[in-house]
Amino acid sequence: MKETKEQALNWGALLARFAVGGVLVYAGFLKLSAPVEEFAYAIESYRLLPYDLSLLAASVMRWFELYLGVFIIFGVFTRFSVLLSLAVFAAFEFFLLQAIIRNLPITNCGCFGASSSNGIYTEFFLNLVWIILSFFILKKGGSLSVDSLLDRMEENENKK
Amino acid sequence: MGKKNLKKLVVSFFLIFLSTLAALLLRQASLVEQSPSPEFRKKGPDSARIRIFEHSDFGCPACALSHKYLNELLSVYKEEIQLNFKHYPLPELHPNSPKAALYADCAGRQGKFWEFADSLFSEQEKWVRAENPEPFFEGLFRKLGLDAEKLKRCAADPETLKDFNMDVSFGDLKRIDATPTFFVNGERAVGPGQLSEKIRHWESKK
Repeated sequence: MKETKEQALNWGALLARFAVGGVLVYAGFLKLSAPVEEFAYAIESYRLLPYDLSLLAASVMRWFELYLGVFIIFGVFTRFSVLLSLAVFAAFEFFLLQAIIRNLPITNCGCFGASSSNGIYTEFFLNLVWIILSFFILKKGGSLSVDSLLDRMEENENKK
Repeated sequence: MGKKNLKKLVVSFFLIFLSTLAALLLRQASLVEQSPSPEFRKKGPDSARIRIFEHSDFGCPACALSHKYLNELLSVYKEEIQLNFKHYPLPELHPNSPKAALYADCAGRQGKFWEFADSLFSEQEKWVRAENPEPFFEGLFRKLGLDAEKLKRCAADPETLKDFNMDVSFGDLKRIDATPTFFVNGERAVGPGQLSEKIRHWESKK
């Protein structure tokens, strides 16, 4: 019984990894397929960073999201990757919250490019879901990953 | 470094390489050359050092803000800047914008494009969310002394629609997703902040 529950949790964590990693890959790809200035414009609309920094952040973030997502899906340096993704989601949550408090005229969050993004209230709650799933992966997300495969290989080598 | 971590690093580099390759294949470089706007949508001399292409939506608030800034800029740098206006309405956000764009082009054929555009931007809130914006447009025809009958015929003319659709298709080719998007001597700027930054950069180079 305990084993079945453990197995279900492992599968759940794998799905969570696909969801969190998938959303990061999707967001990264969409932003990479559009001109960087559009994402920079979305960052500018939060009125926290000046133009130069917005452009730099936009250039770096879209690649960062893509790589982070791929690492989480495949489970490479899983714990470290998920901690980084938590930092990204938390920072974004802060951006959204201050925009809501300051009542900034932002019609879409810019998180999935300029043309297919959510409103900031929707994104605020959706982002909370990603944060919760990330914590779940931190606790249970190591199975069926490159990390666990390499662990098993090392164990087998040590047994020999 | 342990053997296991070394293997993880090798896998990491492999994944980074593959995802970078996929992202680069997905991106398509836009090599389309900008074609000038019709004369009535052009401001400033052809010899100007700075050519700005403004891809704009009459219904978008950021476009109104940028347009005001551009007007101020053009009044200062009359000989140094040429502005080309291109339509790029986002009808899913502003359903009245395409109609406004067609009317603006037809006002342009009667020599009043910029006056019509300035009014559309400055009085945006009066028509952008209106269920029936026609009374506002008709009021504007009267205010600017335009021939309303001729203008409505022109707006229904397939040739006018063709010019408008060309602008939109061109914007699609340039991968425009957000308005206003500018090309300042070929360099992209999205929104009023990036535009003023590009202009500041140009001023500092003078």
